[in-house]
Amino acid sequence: MSSKETFTQISPSEFFYRNRDLAGFSNPTRSLYTAVREFVENSLDACDQKGILADVHMSIKAVDAEKQDPKQYILTVRDNGPGIESNHVPLAFGTVLYGSKFGLKQARGMFGLGATMAILYGQITTNKPVVVKSSTDGKIQDEYEMLLDIQKNKPVILKHETKEVSKSGLSVSICLEGDYAKAGTKIRDYVYQTSLITPYATITFDDPKGEKYRYTKVIRTMPPSPTIIRPHPHGIDVETIRRMLLDTHYQIPAVDDNMISKVRKELGLANKNLSHSEIMVKTQKKWKTLTRPVRIIMALVSFLKMDFEKLSKTTIEEIDIANKKLTYWDFGESQSISIDMDPESFYYKQLANTVQGETITSFLTKRFQRVGPTTALKFAEYAKFKPEHRIGTMTNQELVKLTDGLQTFDDFMAPDPSCLAPLGESPLKKGMERFFEPDFLEVVQRGASAYSGFPFVIEMGIAYGGKISSRGMKVYRFANRIPLLYDEGSDVVLKVVNDTDWSRYKIKGDPPLVIVSHICSTRVPYKTVGKENVADRPEIERELKLALLSLSRKLSSFMSKRGQADAAIKRKNLYSKYIPLIAQFCTELAGKKNEPNYKQMITEEPIVEEKTD
Amino acid sequence: MDKQSALVDLLRKHGAQIYDDIDNGNFPKFTIPSRSVSNIVYDKKIRQYILGANMAVRSSRNTSQLRSFTQLMWLAFFANRLTGQKKSSTLRDVYYSSQAFAVDFEDQSESDNIIVDLEAVLASPRESFHVFPEERSSVFGDLTIEYTVPGYEGKKTNLSDHPDGYAIGPSLTSSEFTETSAEVVIAIEKGGLFTRFVEEQVDKKFKAIIVDTGGQAPRSTRTLLKRLHDELSLPVVILTDGDVYGEHIAMVIKSGSANAAHLRGLTVPDAKWVGVWATDIEKYKLPTIPMTESDIKRCHDLLKDPRYQEGIWKKELEVFLKIKRKAELEAFSKYGLTNITDKYLPQKLELAKSL
Repeated sequence: MSSKETFTQISPSEFFYRNRDLAGFSNPTRSLYTAVREFVENSLDACDQKGILADVHMSIKAVDAEKQDPKQYILTVRDNGPGIESNHVPLAFGTVLYGSKFGLKQARGMFGLGATMAILYGQITTNKPVVVKSSTDGKIQDEYEMLLDIQKNKPVILKHETKEVSKSGLSVSICLEGDYAKAGTKIRDYVYQTSLITPYATITFDDPKGEKYRYTKVIRTMPPSPTIIRPHPHGIDVETIRRMLLDTHYQIPAVDDNMISKVRKELGLANKNLSHSEIMVKTQKKWKTLTRPVRIIMALVSFLKMDFEKLSKTTIEEIDIANKKLTYWDFGESQSISIDMDPESFYYKQLANTVQGETITSFLTKRFQRVGPTTALKFAEYAKFKPEHRIGTMTNQELVKLTDGLQTFDDFMAPDPSCLAPLGESPLKKGMERFFEPDFLEVVQRGASAYSGFPFVIEMGIAYGGKISSRGMKVYRFANRIPLLYDEGSDVVLKVVNDTDWSRYKIKGDPPLVIVSHICSTRVPYKTVGKENVADRPEIERELKLALLSLSRKLSSFMSKRGQADAAIKRKNLYSKYIPLIAQFCTELAGKKNEPNYKQMITEEPIVEEKTD
Repeated sequence: MDKQSALVDLLRKHGAQIYDDIDNGNFPKFTIPSRSVSNIVYDKKIRQYILGANMAVRSSRNTSQLRSFTQLMWLAFFANRLTGQKKSSTLRDVYYSSQAFAVDFEDQSESDNIIVDLEAVLASPRESFHVFPEERSSVFGDLTIEYTVPGYEGKKTNLSDHPDGYAIGPSLTSSEFTETSAEVVIAIEKGGLFTRFVEEQVDKKFKAIIVDTGGQAPRSTRTLLKRLHDELSLPVVILTDGDVYGEHIAMVIKSGSANAAHLRGLTVPDAKWVGVWATDIEKYKLPTIPMTESDIKRCHDLLKDPRYQEGIWKKELEVFLKIKRKAELEAFSKYGLTNITDKYLPQKLELAKSL
């Protein structure tokens, strides 16, 4: 029956090292592309958050230009963002799971994990350090050369020096194995499309072949940045609820020497030894100025009936609110002692509140968005909880019941979209104008909507003709300002576009047509781990359809106006060709010498085409 | 000719109207009888298909009609020149002539269609504005004609002078008939039999003018037949192969075709089809060939035609359908080369008198 298996804990770095495929580092082609994305998106996010109009400069250089792909490349991404405090640099770039992007609002990446993964990948494939240059004040720049200790998940700093600079910002440079021959198209597409959806940023790219791609900013105002908000009840799961409960209700502080000296200090009894009843008198006088942990300790003391001397030899074992019993371990007597608590006591209520946590209704109104006292009461009734039920006393079963209730209760208001950061109609329009120089351009931003408790906003633009050279419809898909390049076929946007009967909108054949679709959400429902295609949630599909519908109607009216103008030109050409001939023939037929005056007929614009059978 | 100058007048009238429209800054238009199938009706009184009352407007303002309007104008202009200069042309010739005037036709069928339009506007066959068909059929017999075409005015000829017969072209159809001893006109479907008839002196034996229709009779041939009947009061009899198509060749000579519903004066309502009938196949024990699917279909189609609702026309169709066999004129050769002229023809000519 004995097993020799041993269980060892692995560090997050180790975990990612073993599972790098999951994060998009499966092969040199994909890895190069993923690394580019992670760094560029980090830079853009950092600038966005500080309201800086981003300048992001990216370069990829081959270490040995003569070698065949896959080979080593140096990837450098430099921005004009806020930089990272010198002492945070080693942790931010030298450990996995050190990130600043926690909280519920729309951002490109989730936790800043990807950049570290890219560094890790570079180190694995080339054994070269990452070079990070950061300046937060625009005067002093810290330069670090680091390796990552995978087993310990700790940075190994090889070099650290500072120098004077004139601009703030961050520059990250890694050496990694990549295949630019294969990844080049995707990377160029990525840079191009990212610029399209980020018209307020300048993005440049110097590729290994010496090609330079420059996309300068079209607008100088940034879309309003999103605010961090509380979660919506529909978007919650059991684990999230458990965590929320944990940091909602206060733990009973440990009664150790530190705590006792803190209590004495707050009561103004640092050096005085008073009896229990004297202490309690003092406590009542000072109650309002006491901090929460001290209040709890004093509530316990009121039942323990001890002075500080005795208290220091005691450990609280259990506070059983239901049976009104308090159990403690007495070091002096080396035994557990249970005492009764008086439920009428002022201190009992204080203790009960702390241990049991707040009521379910107060928990809901304080900790979730869009839940007021009335809704909270209605919900309690729906989920079969007493409104005054304390969240601190919930069993696991009740927790599941609460979560199910939150997910299924229909009367919560729609999620608050203020955590979203759509680009806005005008920036989108300006971006598309610059990129496509079309004859027709319309954009639309739909109102906020929600699926499963996650708010989302659809923005869409449609461009036709002009300098659009592609034949056939081209769809650019974006989610949270990130271009989606892979797995186009299975995407919900494509489905909606393909389901549209374009002939109804006077679009036929292979039109020079571009559609830009942008989904903003705190959680984009990707179909796959690769995060390249959006799943067809009915709510999202509906919004996409409505957006496309309003745009295609406008396109249709443009097309018919254009059709009319074309027809007028065509008509004029036909008249100019045939009327003189008719004039010539009828002159001879009628036996006249001079031709009739037809000039007016071929110069004037005819109004309506006559209908004859 | 009076008729000719009336046509020229009509052309001038249309031309002047259009000239004035343009000069006043109006887009010219005119109406022509609609030639759509729904507007073709059978007139029992004159025993032919005619166009109904529906008219179509052709407007030069309408860009989808402008091109065909111009084409029609050009054709009127061209017809005016042809008649004025007494020159003749053909359908194909018209198609090529258009190119000299920057008037484009996609193909000949488009120009043919415009020619039919002009026929409808003028209510005259194209021969009247000197556009003649390519196909030539022949005529032989004692008939003296006097030419009216330029260069031959007053010149006479007798149609029995040349044993191959005379081609029925514009000069022949426009000639004056001065003298004949003939008492009957025999129209025959096939050139081979026409030659046999000349060799066997059918013209003399039966005092006949023999016309080879060359299959479906061209309009100039039908015009000639009509003139022989109307001007010389000669009865017209028709001999065709013993099949549905032969029967219909006879019917077209008698009462025209739906294609020419816009025209009058191409029919010989008194013409008589004398054979080869379906009933003759049995009667004369002729060698036969089976009818094809398309023969049978054609038979059913014709049975729905108002002209086939009575007499031998209906009866013979029904017999064809019953026996499902057909026989050609040459079938009589089974009984000797002259059998058809010696035996069959006299019987049929006799019979014709009672039809």
